[in-house]
Amino acid sequence: MNKFTNLLVKEIRDLVNKQLVTSLLMTVLIFYFVGNMAKSEMKRAEATQTISVLDLDQSTLSKGLAAGLKAASFKVEWSPAKDPEAAVQAAKQGDTYLLIVIPEGFGASVDRLEPKEISTFTFLRSFSIGGMRKSEILRAVIGATNNYLSNDILKKKVPDVPADILKTPIKSKDYVIVKDKMAEGSASTISGLVWSQSFLIPIILFVIIMSSAQMVISAVAMEKQNKTLETLLTVPIRRTSVVTTKMLAAGIVGLLSAGIYMIGMRSFMGGMTGGIRAGAAAGAVIKELGLTLAGRGYVLLGVAMFFAILCGLAMAMILGVLAEDLRSAQTLIMPIMLMILIPYLLSFFVDFQTMPLPAKLLIMAIPFSHPFMATPNIMLGHYSAVLYGILYMAVVFLVLVFIAARIFSTDRVLTMKLRWGKKKVVL
Amino acid sequence: MTTVLKVEGLKKSYGTKEALSGIDFEVQEGEIFALIGPNGAGKTTTLRIVATLLTISGGKVTFLGHDLKKEPEKIRENISYLPEEAGAYRNMKGLDYLRFMANFYAGDGEKADEIVRRGEAIAELGSALKDKVGTYSKGMVRKLLLGRALMTKPAMAVLDEPTSGLDVINSLEVREIIKRFAKEGISVLLSSHNMLEIEFLSDRVALIDKGRILDAGTSGGLKDKYQAPNLEVVFRSAVR
Repeated sequence: MNKFTNLLVKEIRDLVNKQLVTSLLMTVLIFYFVGNMAKSEMKRAEATQTISVLDLDQSTLSKGLAAGLKAASFKVEWSPAKDPEAAVQAAKQGDTYLLIVIPEGFGASVDRLEPKEISTFTFLRSFSIGGMRKSEILRAVIGATNNYLSNDILKKKVPDVPADILKTPIKSKDYVIVKDKMAEGSASTISGLVWSQSFLIPIILFVIIMSSAQMVISAVAMEKQNKTLETLLTVPIRRTSVVTTKMLAAGIVGLLSAGIYMIGMRSFMGGMTGGIRAGAAAGAVIKELGLTLAGRGYVLLGVAMFFAILCGLAMAMILGVLAEDLRSAQTLIMPIMLMILIPYLLSFFVDFQTMPLPAKLLIMAIPFSHPFMATPNIMLGHYSAVLYGILYMAVVFLVLVFIAARIFSTDRVLTMKLRWGKKKVVL
Repeated sequence: MTTVLKVEGLKKSYGTKEALSGIDFEVQEGEIFALIGPNGAGKTTTLRIVATLLTISGGKVTFLGHDLKKEPEKIRENISYLPEEAGAYRNMKGLDYLRFMANFYAGDGEKADEIVRRGEAIAELGSALKDKVGTYSKGMVRKLLLGRALMTKPAMAVLDEPTSGLDVINSLEVREIIKRFAKEGISVLLSSHNMLEIEFLSDRVALIDKGRILDAGTSGGLKDKYQAPNLEVVFRSAVR
C-alpha cells in the first residue's frame, strides 16, 4: 500500500463510523416512513370521502348538486337534522370533514336569478395536506355545478348565442417563448413544473457541501484534539498529500452520504407529491421548449456542483486549522454555512439575472452561488454564464488549495488558532 | 564518530518574540543528547524544528548532510519524533496503529511486517495491542508511541519529555528502552524536566535558558565544572 492510499484509507475509516452509518440509516428510514404515511394520506384524501348534506330544498337542482358530488367520488350522507345548527352539531360528533347546507327555496331562487347562498362547512380536524384537498375537491364540484347552471340559464335566455361566447367573449391563447423556441402554454404552469422538477438540486448541493465541509473541519480538529497531528506531520509523506487525503476522503464520504440522504428524500417527496401529478400537456411543452436537463446540461451541472464541493472542502481545510478541538470546529463551519445559505435561499425567491449590479456582483463573488444559478442558466441556454461560473470556482479552488498547502507546509498549521475571547487570529 | 545532527546559530521567532537566539550543538551517531531547562527555555521549539514541524528564522540545521530548510522530506525519512503530549488514533487498535505508521516507511508488505513486529516488541503491550487505543491507560499509550517512534530504526529519535505523566515503573521501562536502542546506534535528542532522568540517560547535556545554550558537556563534566552535586545545582549555577 503506498503512502497516499495508506493515509486515505485511514481518513475514510475515521469518517465512516457507527454514528455516521446509524444517522444515515435513521434518516432514510424516517424519510421512507413519513413519505409512505403522506402517500397513503394523499390516497385516502383522493379516495371516496364522506360528505354530510342537509337538503332543506329537495328540488331538482339540489338533487343535481348532490349527484355532482357523488360523481366526484364523494359518499353523500344525508343529514337528518331540521336546521343548519343541528346539522353542524351532528356532523361535529361524527368523522365527516365536510358539510353542505342547501337552503329551502334554493332551486326556485336560482330559477328567479336571485340565488340563495348554500353554506359549506369544513371541519378542520388536522392541518395535513390531505385534509385541505377535501375542501378543494368540494370547491371544484361547486364550480362545475355553477358552470353547468350558468350555461343552462344562458341557453334559455339567449338561445341564439353559445353560452361560452357570452361568458368569455375574449378568447386568448397563451404562448411561452424560450430563446428561439415557442410553445403554447401558461408561463406560471410551466414555471411551476420546472421548479418542481429541479427544486431538489439546491437541497442536494446544500447537503453535500455542508456535510463534507463539516467532515474536513472535524477531521483536522480531531487530529489536534487527540494530539496526533504533530506525529502525522513528521512522517515521510508530503504535506500536500495530508491536505489532499483529508479533502478526498470527506468528498467521497460526503457524496455517498448525500446519495443515501437523497434516496430517502426522494421517497419522502414522492409520498408528498404522489397524488399531484403534473399534466402530460405541460410536460410536453417543457420538452418542446427545451427546458430539460438532458445530456450536456447534466454534465455542466455536475461539473458546477463538483467544483462547488471542492471549494467547500478547501475552505473547510483552512478553517479546520483554526480549530483547537472538536467543539470549536462546530462553530467554524459558520462562514461556509452562511456562504451557502445566502444563494440557497435566494435561489428559491430571486432571479439572479435581474438583481441590481452591486448585489449581483456580491452574489457572484460567492463561489457556491454558481451551481445554484447553473440549473436555470442551462435550461435557458445561457451556457457561457455556467462556464464562467465553473472557471471562477476552479480559480477560487486553486487559490484556496494553495493557501491550505502553504499553511500545512509552515508553522501556521500548529500555531494558527482563532481565539474567541480575543476575537483575533493568532499567527 | 559521525555527526548526525549539526545545529548552527539556530534562531526562531514567533512574531516579535524570540524563542531561540542562535543556538549551536551537535549530536553524534548513537549518542543521547539532552536539552534541559525551565519552561519556555526553547527546548520544545528546538525539538520541533529538528522534527521539521517548525520553520527556522535564522541559522542552519543539517541532518545526515541534508539541509532542513531545503530537504525536510529527506529528514522525515530518517527521524522519529515523539511529542510531549502525543496521542494515537483512539478508534484504531494498537496493532493497526503500528501497521498504519509502518506503511509510511516500508516499501513492501514484508518490510512493514518486520517493522510492526519490532514495534510490538518495543511497546511490550502483549494482547492489549489487539484492543482499541481508546481503552489504553496513559502509560500504555506512551509505550505504544515509543514503539512507533523506534520501530522504524530511525537514524535519530527526537523525544520530548519521553516519560511525561508516567508512573515510576513505566518511566523506568521507557528509559531502559531508550538506552537499549541508543546502544544499537540510534541517536537520541531529548528534553526533560527530570534531572535524574537526564543523568541516567544522556551522554551529553546542554543547559538551555531564554533561547540560549548556557553550557554543554557530559553530566559528570558539568558537575565537576560547577562543583555541584547534581544537574539541578549545575543549572542554577549556570543561570547565575
